[in-house]
Order: sequence, then structure tokens, then C-alpha cells
Amino acid sequence: MTPAAKRLSVVAAALGPKRTREELLPFLSDGVDDDDEVLGAIATSLRDLVPHVGGRNHLSSLLHPLELLLAVEENVVRERAAESAIAVGEQMYDEDYRAEFVGMISRLATKEWFTARISACGLIHVAFPRMSSSSSSSGGDGGMRMAHLAHFANLCRDDAPMVRRIASRNLGPLLHTVVVTIGPSCLDEGGAVSAILLDLYESLAGGDQPDSVRLHTTQNCVHLGQAITLMKERVLSSSSLSSSSSSLSGGLGDGVLGEEGENTLVRINAIVKRILPLIVATIDDRSWRVRWTAASKFASVVHAFSKLDGSMDALVPAYEKLLQDPEAEVRTAATFNFSEVAKTGAMVCPAGWAGGGGFDVGPADPSSRRIPVALRLVKRVVQLTEDDSENVRAALAMVATDLAPVLGRDATITHLLPPMLLLLRDSNSEVRLNIISSLSLLNEVIGAELLTQSLLPAILDLADDGKWRIRLAVIERIPLLAKQLGKEFFTDRLLSLCVGWLGDDISSIREAAAADLKELTALLGSEWAVQNLLPRVKQMMEHQSYLRRMNAVRALSLMATAMDAHTAQWEILPILLEMHCDPVPNVRFNVAKGLGMIGPLFQSSYEGQILPILTLMMDDPDRDVRYFATQASDSLRAFFGTSNKS
Amino acid sequence: MVAEQSQSSTAAAAPSQSQSSHDLEQYLAKLTQGTPLSESEVQHLCNKARETLTLEANVQPVSAPVTVCGDIHGQWHDLMELYRIGGSAPDTNYLFMGDYVDRGYYSVETVSLLVCLKVRYPQRVHILRGNHESRQITQVYGFYDECVRKYGSANVWKMFTDLFDYFPLTAVVENQIFCLHGGLSPSVDALDHIRQLDRVQEVPHEGPMCDLLWSDPDDRSGWGISPRGAGFTFGRDVSEQFNQRNGLTLVARAHQLVMEGYNWSHEKNVVTIFSAPNYCYRCGNQAAIMEVDDNDKSKPTFLQFDPAPRRGEPHVNRRTPDYFL
Repeated sequence: MTPAAKRLSVVAAALGPKRTREELLPFLSDGVDDDDEVLGAIATSLRDLVPHVGGRNHLSSLLHPLELLLAVEENVVRERAAESAIAVGEQMYDEDYRAEFVGMISRLATKEWFTARISACGLIHVAFPRMSSSSSSSGGDGGMRMAHLAHFANLCRDDAPMVRRIASRNLGPLLHTVVVTIGPSCLDEGGAVSAILLDLYESLAGGDQPDSVRLHTTQNCVHLGQAITLMKERVLSSSSLSSSSSSLSGGLGDGVLGEEGENTLVRINAIVKRILPLIVATIDDRSWRVRWTAASKFASVVHAFSKLDGSMDALVPAYEKLLQDPEAEVRTAATFNFSEVAKTGAMVCPAGWAGGGGFDVGPADPSSRRIPVALRLVKRVVQLTEDDSENVRAALAMVATDLAPVLGRDATITHLLPPMLLLLRDSNSEVRLNIISSLSLLNEVIGAELLTQSLLPAILDLADDGKWRIRLAVIERIPLLAKQLGKEFFTDRLLSLCVGWLGDDISSIREAAAADLKELTALLGSEWAVQNLLPRVKQMMEHQSYLRRMNAVRALSLMATAMDAHTAQWEILPILLEMHCDPVPNVRFNVAKGLGMIGPLFQSSYEGQILPILTLMMDDPDRDVRYFATQASDSLRAFFGTSNKS
Repeated sequence: MVAEQSQSSTAAAAPSQSQSSHDLEQYLAKLTQGTPLSESEVQHLCNKARETLTLEANVQPVSAPVTVCGDIHGQWHDLMELYRIGGSAPDTNYLFMGDYVDRGYYSVETVSLLVCLKVRYPQRVHILRGNHESRQITQVYGFYDECVRKYGSANVWKMFTDLFDYFPLTAVVENQIFCLHGGLSPSVDALDHIRQLDRVQEVPHEGPMCDLLWSDPDDRSGWGISPRGAGFTFGRDVSEQFNQRNGLTLVARAHQLVMEGYNWSHEKNVVTIFSAPNYCYRCGNQAAIMEVDDNDKSKPTFLQFDPAPRRGEPHVNRRTPDYFL
């Protein structure tokens, strides 16, 4: 049944448009099956029938079966039916759309069974822009649009909490659509937003609602912030266009904005004042799920409101409170948003001013005392480094260095560096790993000199951390450190560490150390490498563990690729060739692999030195040595063969 | 560049041998990414593996240096971590002591990879049979279901369990370290007894072959009845006698979860090695492997490790409660 339901378009194509409309669609509407899987398949494939019903003016025939599916009990079926209905609606002529599609929404919104009403919640904002409006008679009843806002308002007050939950999820999108469709006039006194939607915001965020309804307050407020910011920008730009002759830098000076624009700005301020308490309430909500949602979306909230006057003075203290939430999960979610919140360009009153509880926008504080949000929040970093939960500290370690570019050099040194040092010595290894993985950003801002003074000791501590991934993270940063520290300081302080890692117990560390030697050779020169690295690598070649000897072979080949050919030929090649008689086959075949890799560098020694050794190894008692020696010799022969010709 | 050239040129030079090694390299490339082989590829692999494994002895001689590992149990990601700790094959020599399948969610990938390495590098990698390498056990503990889920039929399960019959039962490293999955058997005094067994069959319910894969060391001396319902428990006296009689220094075995990943017992006559960290994704144990060096075989090195961090996830717990939707 399901496969057939997935291929309705084939059936429809065979039947032709007329019979599709008169037989197939009524059949599908007739309660063919009550298996959810089949119904879901039908719901999805009904949209594929758009080309098969005989043209755009017959599309409404598809809505009938969809309307039934929009009322079934299974969530997934309804969602697919909604997607199909929207897709079908997009193709309909405006007139049909208003009559049939919008009519369907009205019916769903008032159906007795709640599942139909749930479907209506999600469709109203989709259809809103295409509903007829009595735009010519401004301020009128708004006709179809107002009627549907009324429907939506009823759904928000529905007896079934399941309906209110879905209505709540759709409130933000609806508001956004309404504002964008109608424009600034909807913000007027008695307009759709002030008269209807804001009330809904307040009632759905109310403490008498279940937390699954209140959960959506945060996202809804993001939609609202974005929508009214859009309106504010539109008003400001249109006014600056119309009165460009007398444009003053004073901003909201009288006469620049025209009365209408002026009124809109006043309304926007009034709306912000009404909404901010709702957001602030979510951070004190008794349900941790609501607070967690607020915490994890707080960066979006801050960005949505950053251009609206007075918001930051309410939102930043609220965010600070989330960072101190009793639930570690909430603090973690809030901490992940830390640098995103701090990145907002807005200004805020310095800490200590907070807590008054009022959301007054009035310029009580002299604006000269306002500081960037980042500068205020950075003071919270210290506190977070002492958080009981390692998840919070790990989250902080992941995002905190992003603050450095926002703060600039001086503030980073004063405020950010000390807590970073604490995190580098945190008792939890994930915290240490996260901070060391994100340090390079800090380096760029504060420069190498300070790095050596303050961070280096902590990094050296981590160099023999018990967790090998932390050692690995340090090793991966060694080339960068070498570049910043300079040859002498590096040789003095870090060299012995780097070569020490060649003997580490963990294979990945040894390999990463070998890779570092290549980078260091390239960075500090062949001569330096021969003097400082080679003696230690030679020592490793006599180590009693074949794994260390093998890694030394690998390190040699890697170093050779970064050296000038002459040095490599005299200093590296002889040692590498010598290792071909190691007692352990694994070392021998790594010599072969190494020769295959660096052989192309040594045209002059190829026939005299490399080839004889490889030939010898091709008769080795061990089959793997023979295999890799053959491979190396073949590749070198191919290389020199072709290069001779050219 | 050079490596690519060399591969193609070898393939041209020696078609017959390198054709098959070329196939195997391709399988290995897939399997080290965690992609299972296709059913026909598994068939091909198992045919090759049977040829290789038939040649091995019941007590397979293995030369040092070698890294000895215990149970893996389908924890493919942790097997990858094991390679990060011990080095990748063929650069590092490995001896695995059984229990590659069941419990974990990636038995197919795990056993395919190990068998493939064995076939490609028979001198570098050794695999023994564990009590889970059996038709009966895998039908209960997950491998059968996993095969059906991943391949749509039990064919792959049949191919692998038929192959398991050929896995060697035990190995001995440099005539000193006796390696096997479970432990000793009252019907086996000498390695030669094991050499005489006909191993190509399903693991029996009793008898020496069963014991070798099922027994556990115990604090009580002598032989005891195993709470597992198969095999025996054996005491220090048994291990000491066995080692002495066969000129061995140590019995290395797996089969039991040990929280530190390895555990000495019987006055260093027996060591248990377990290489599945956080066994069954919930036991919280460390895993370990044992490096036996070429120079000092009496002093093996143990490397412990934790589960691999899961790929694509941050190191921090970002869990969203699932009832949010």
C-alpha cells in the first residue's frame, strides 16, 4: 500500500486530469486507509499531482484530501500534509487561494477536534501575506486578515494546551509576517501588533501556562526584535531620504523625521518596553527548560534587540543572571553564547548599575559612562573559571578566547589573560584541551612577547600532561610557538621537549613529534636542524624499542624533505641507509618507505647508494620488507626514468 | 605524488600478487574509514582469509616484538583509538586474542578490518579465536542481528562464523609468552596436546578446545567449576605448573573485564588484558595493550587508554534533553 501511495502521480498520469479529479482524489478522500505510514505517503505525494489535475484553476481539488489529512491524529502525517498544502497553495491563483486555501484554514481553526486546530496554527502565518486586505480604507476592519488574526488569537487561548503550544511556536513567525506585510502602520495604536499580538505574547508567556508553551517565548521575542528593528530602520532611512536637505547629525531631532516617523519610533519604544519584561521573566522562570532555552538562544535575543534603545540595560544583567543559574545545564548553555553576546556592538551601563528592576530608557546616566557589552561581561569570566561544573568551564574554555579581538589588546591583557591562565591549569582535562586549542586567537591579539611571559609556563606544564590528547594539542602548536619565539629562545626553552616527545609511549605523540621536526627544520634551517635535532634523532635510532627506532626513521625522512639537498644528502641519507640492517623487519620496511619518499631528492646518490640497498632489501627474508622495497624501487625508477627523458 | 606513482607501477609489474593486494588495500581504505564492505567483498575476503588461516597452527608461533591485545567487542571507534595509542598496522605488529564481535555496535566493521589486516599482512597481524567467535554465541549477543540489519540477510554472518572455525586457538610469543582467549584446560598439560586438536569446527560445549576459550584464573588453587557454565577456573598452582612444564614465562589472556585494562594474577604467571574501553559503552573501565619488546621479553610495557572521543561532537556535553520536541 505504501509504495502505491508514494507513486500517485503515475496513477494520475494514467487516468488523465478529469478522472484524477473525479475518481482518484475522491477515492483518496474516502478514508482509504488508517495506517499512518500510508497516510503519510499520500500526504507527501499529493503535491506531485499538481501537474495532473488539469491546470492551475483546478488545484483546489487537491486541497480536499489534504484538509482531511491535516486533521488526522498522527503528527508526522499532518506535517507532511501541511508541507504539501503549502506547495499546492503556492501554485494557486490568488482568487482561488483566498477562497479555498484560506477558507480551509478558517475551517481547520474552528474544527472540534484539536488536531485540526493544531494544523491551523502553522498555516495562518503562511497564508497571511496573500489574504485580501482592505488596504485602501486604512484602519478599517482589515477583512480577511483581521479575521484570521482573530482565529489565531482564539487558538492561543484554546482549551487544549497542545494547541496553545503549537500556537505559541507560531506566534513569532506570525508577528514577523504581519509586520513585514503591513508595514509600520501595524504598530499603531489599534493596529494588529499592539491590539492583538502583543497581548498574545503576554498571555502565552504568563506563569499560568504550561512550560511547554512558555518555552517559545524566547524565540518569539527574537522574531519580534528582528521585525521592529526592521521597521525602525525603514523609518529612519525613509526620513533621511525625504529630508536629506536638512539632515542633521542630531539623530532624532524634531522636524527631521516627520510626524508619522516620530510616532512610529515612540511606538517602537513602547513595544520594547512591553516585551523586555517578558524576556527578563524567562531567566527567572521556575522551569529550568524555559531558562535553558533562554540561555541557549540568548545571543540571538541580544542581536535582535541590539539596535533598540535601552534593551541592553535590561538584557545584559539578565544574561549575567543566567550565567549564575542554579542548574549547570543552563549555565553551560549560557556560557556557550558568551562571546556571541559580547560581540554585539551595543553599549551598556557598567556593572553595578544593574538590578534596579526598571526598564526605563531615560537618559538618567550620562552616556559617557556607558561601556561596550564585552567590557562589562569580561568581568564575569573570572567567576566562570571557578564554576563547580566542568561542563561550564569547558564551554568557557571553548569560547572565551573569541573575546580577545572584541576587547582589543589592553583589555585582553588586563581582564582576559589571568582567567585564561587559570583555565590552562584547570583540574579537568577537557577544559585544558579546549583552552589550548583556542589559544592562537589570543596570540594574535596580545602578541608573542606577552605570550612568552605569561602563557609559556602554563603551556610547558601541559607538555607532559597525563592526557595524551593535551600533549598532542601542545605539539601541534609548537611550530607556531617556534615562529613567534625566535630561534634562540626556542632552542633554549622548547627544544628538549620537542625531541623528548620522540620517545613518548603513545604512538600518535611520537608521530606528531616527528612531523614537528620537519616543520622546525623548514622554519629554523638545515644547519640548525643538523646541530640541534639530528643528535637526538640518532640517539633514538639506537633505542631498544623498535617502535621508537621506526619513528626516528620516519623523522629522518621528514626532516630531509625540508632540508637543502646537499645537507640532506650528507647528513641524513647515510644514517637512513644504515638502518636497513635493523633486526626488526618493521624498521627495515620503513627505511624502504623513507627511501621511496626522499629518493627523488638525491639524483647523484640514486644509483650508487640508494638502489643497491633497495635491491638488497628486495631479497629480505620478510615478505613485507620485500614488498615495500619493491614499491620504493619501482617508484624511484619511474621518477628518474621520466626525469632523464625530459 | 610519489606514493601514487609507486602503487600504479607495482600493479603493472607484478599483476597476480599485487592485484589481490590492491583489492585488500581498497578494502582497508574503506574499513579504516568505518565503511563496511559489500556482501560480495566480504565473500572474497573470507575466501582469502580461509587460505591464510588454514596454514596457521593451533599454537601459532609469533615473534617479538609484538603488541598483544584483548577483547574488542565491536567497538570500532575504540579499535581506532587503540591504533592511535599503539601505532597502526603494519608498522606495529599486533596479536589479538579474540572476541572481536558482539556487544558493541560495529562488530561487522571491526571483524572485517581485523581479518583484512590479517590477510594483507599475515606476518604483522595475528588473530586468535575468542569464545564469541562462534555461531551460537553471536546469535545471542548481537553480531547476528547486526549483520541482518546492515546487510539485509544472515549471509555475512554465515561467512564470518564459517571463517571463525579456522582461527588459531592460541599463540606463543618467542616460546615464552602463551597467548589465548580464555585460559588453561584440565585436559591440556602441554602445548603439544593443543597442537593435536582438530580446531576447524564450532566451539564445542566441553573439552579442551572449549576450555581454552572459556576458562578463567581464580584465587582458589586447583581446578574449579566455572560460573560461566563452560570452561573451568584454575589456580596459581595450575598456572605455575603449566608454565614450568612448557618452558613459558607467562600466560597472557583476555576474556574478563578488568577496570585498569590489564591485571596481573597468580604471582605474575598470568596477565589479563582487556582492550575495550568503557565496555558496552557503560562499564567505565580503561583499556590496555601489552607491548612485548624484541630485547627484553620478560618485561612487557602496558599502555592504558580511554574511549575515543566521539567524532563530530564537541568535547563538552551539549546534551539537549530529548523531551524538548
